Amino acid sequence: MQPSLQPAAGDPPLLRLNGIAKRFLSVTALKDVSFELRRGEVHAVCGENGAGKSTLMKIISGQLEPDEGEIHFKGQPVRFVSTRDAEAAGIAMIHQELNLVPHLSVAENIFLAREPRRGLFIDRAQLRANARRCLSRLGIEIDPDTPVRTLPVAQCQMVEIAKALSIRAEALIMDEPTSSLTESETGQLFRVIQELKRSGVAIIYISHRLDELVQIVDRVTVLRDGRHVCTDDFAATSVDEIVVRMVGRALDEKFPPRTSVPTADVLMRVQGLTRRGVFRDVGFELRRGEILGFAGLMGAGRTEVARAVFGADLPDSGSIMLGDQTLRIRSPQDAIRHGVAYLSEDRKSHGLALGMSVAENVSLANMSALASGLGFIRFAQENEVAQRYVDALDIRTPSTRTLVRLLSGGNQQKVVIAKWLFRNSRVLFFDEPTRGIDVGAKFAIYTLLDELASQGIGVVLISSELPEILGMTDRVAVFHAGRITAVLDTRRTSQEEIMHHASGRVAATALAS
Amino acid sequence: MNDKQKDLFQKFAALASLAALTVVFALVSDAFFSVGNGMTVALQVTSIAYLGIGATCVIITGGIDLSVGAILALAGVVAAMSVKAGVPVPLAMLAGVLVGALCGAVNGLCVTLLKLPPFIATLGMMLVARGVALQITDARAIGGLGDSFAELGNGSLARVVKIGADGFPDVVFPGIPYPVLLMVLLGVAVAVLLNRTTLGRHLYAVGSNTEAARLSGVDVRGVTLFAYVLSGTLAGLTGCVLMSRLVTAQPSEGLMYELDAIAAAVIGGTSLSGGIGTISGTVIGAFVIGILRNGLNMSGVSAFIQQIIIGLVILLTVWIDQMRHRR
Repeated sequence: MQPSLQPAAGDPPLLRLNGIAKRFLSVTALKDVSFELRRGEVHAVCGENGAGKSTLMKIISGQLEPDEGEIHFKGQPVRFVSTRDAEAAGIAMIHQELNLVPHLSVAENIFLAREPRRGLFIDRAQLRANARRCLSRLGIEIDPDTPVRTLPVAQCQMVEIAKALSIRAEALIMDEPTSSLTESETGQLFRVIQELKRSGVAIIYISHRLDELVQIVDRVTVLRDGRHVCTDDFAATSVDEIVVRMVGRALDEKFPPRTSVPTADVLMRVQGLTRRGVFRDVGFELRRGEILGFAGLMGAGRTEVARAVFGADLPDSGSIMLGDQTLRIRSPQDAIRHGVAYLSEDRKSHGLALGMSVAENVSLANMSALASGLGFIRFAQENEVAQRYVDALDIRTPSTRTLVRLLSGGNQQKVVIAKWLFRNSRVLFFDEPTRGIDVGAKFAIYTLLDELASQGIGVVLISSELPEILGMTDRVAVFHAGRITAVLDTRRTSQEEIMHHASGRVAATALAS
Repeated sequence: MNDKQKDLFQKFAALASLAALTVVFALVSDAFFSVGNGMTVALQVTSIAYLGIGATCVIITGGIDLSVGAILALAGVVAAMSVKAGVPVPLAMLAGVLVGALCGAVNGLCVTLLKLPPFIATLGMMLVARGVALQITDARAIGGLGDSFAELGNGSLARVVKIGADGFPDVVFPGIPYPVLLMVLLGVAVAVLLNRTTLGRHLYAVGSNTEAARLSGVDVRGVTLFAYVLSGTLAGLTGCVLMSRLVTAQPSEGLMYELDAIAAAVIGGTSLSGGIGTISGTVIGAFVIGILRNGLNMSGVSAFIQQIIIGLVILLTVWIDQMRHRR
């Protein structure tokens, strides 16, 4: 798609950063980084986790002050001490974790702390009218009186964008805006982005889904290890080239070759699993050494089924068999005891104790293996175990006693995986294991999935990215509206066929067969 | 600074302020820096320390326990009434401690099973326990409990007394008072529990991220329940020791002690959002409060001014703590 308004290269840039450097204690996050943003362009900033993208964005949006370097906005040197300063100047950031107040209405959220007033009181009519104007500028229809907590993520994001527009932001930073959107919602977001471009708003766009850049991006800047690598017109480069620049080496394949061979013996058999109002009559078989994909749209029930098997939420009916033993799973403890593990899609709030160390997180699910009969922890052994996994999974951390909070997203994910590997799990549910993780780390995790399967572990891969499903699984169970509508052989299926089943268009026929 | 250095720095800072307080008071008041007064301070601190140790465990799980002051009164009263009814002293005190444990268990069940916010659950228990203590005693103090009841609070280990030439006893070494000894034992035991055992690790994990702990197979309910039972048990013990020291059981004893306990934990670096806290910090925190009270007393500062100063100290220490954690 051609950008609608090609910014002239000669214009003075809207935002210019020169020689920016930032250090945290002894770690250099950014070194001599320069960056330029023109009016009306969508500028992608790419880099692996830990490349310095977040730090750079925090500096632009006023959350951090640089140690060195200067920032010019609209030709003037500026110094932002807080996000308020940046917003007042016209720079707003939309975070991956949205910052909305759930119990307030859409209109109240958009104008939070800037409510139109009449005397001492909020002018509700004015508030509503202003909100409606902001929303309609984006071409979206949401009732301004709706409480935000009732909106789906995609609409919350629109509210965030409307909020940014309401402060007359001229530069907008979007951090992983599509990571939790469905395909059609992503389309809607892109239409809004085009709309913003037309009105001259400049957008800094951060995403690990490089494929989607093609649809909206004008220029791209690559960072690596805290340094600026290059800035190019997107038309003059390619996704492959960007990836090479990001990782500093050529990545021939996105997926490792599959070495594991699924066996015929059924490891886990789930039948008639139902949780009222969430999913019903779900059944599947998982074979030893197999990677089974769970595909489907957001909210189709994939995560919910996995959580039910794991005992995190209890199903109303259905049976779960492991080998020839019927399991009674009433809690995650029961599931774990039987060797079933679930790696949550939301690693920060469900997977890790961020304030605890790498070693403490690795051992958390299997403390008894590291403790004497009286419950005394054997620290030397715990460190040894943690170090083993740090080496095996190439977790980049200063030490096993470093707080997990300080690691990058990909490394945090590896810590979660290490926890379950140490538990000797027989069945592993991976829920979106590569979400928000950079290319290099993704490949490492794929390799790991394959290795696990070849050790005879049953792996379930829940993923919203169809290439990932096609590249890594042996069979795919496709979910639609709380049911499995098809189980397909990965080698004999296609993206189209999976989407077909996921959208429910052939639900009736699939169930009949 | 790495984490270890930070930890040392915090300990050092707390200890240094403790030392500074001691020096200042020693200069201001002659009587402050003496063995006798040191013992008095240590004795006064014990109650805050026992309760603070329990409070630390509860706060580490992300909870709070407001009921310990009231539980202390109820437990002491129950122990005293049992003695009056002819129960041998050790058994009577055990009954007091068990009453504390029971109250703690009720707290824990309210939090884990009924899913009440800890603030509310323990606020309720605070009123109930205090009410029961006042009701069963008709709000009257119980006296005349006898020497053996006073032994736990007033006796000491290794006390050396010589009969002087004039025939009067001469105290060569005052000994280590039992309450102080108990404080050391409890402190070490709970510190070992927190740092070296799986249960301790689980307490931190629950406070750090409850959902992650649950999904890792940690028995979140059991662990939380344990923290409240421990806090209640220690409150019961505090009641017995305190009433024994006074040789009187007062149903109105221990008013606002829960706030001292929480303050001691917080001054010692325990985070009210859970997941962070140490026993050594809490004991230091208890001493900071105790020395402030005692020193200000001896310097003739009025009780009202004392409150103001202690309030400011809490604000200051927590502010410093937050500055340290901010990045």
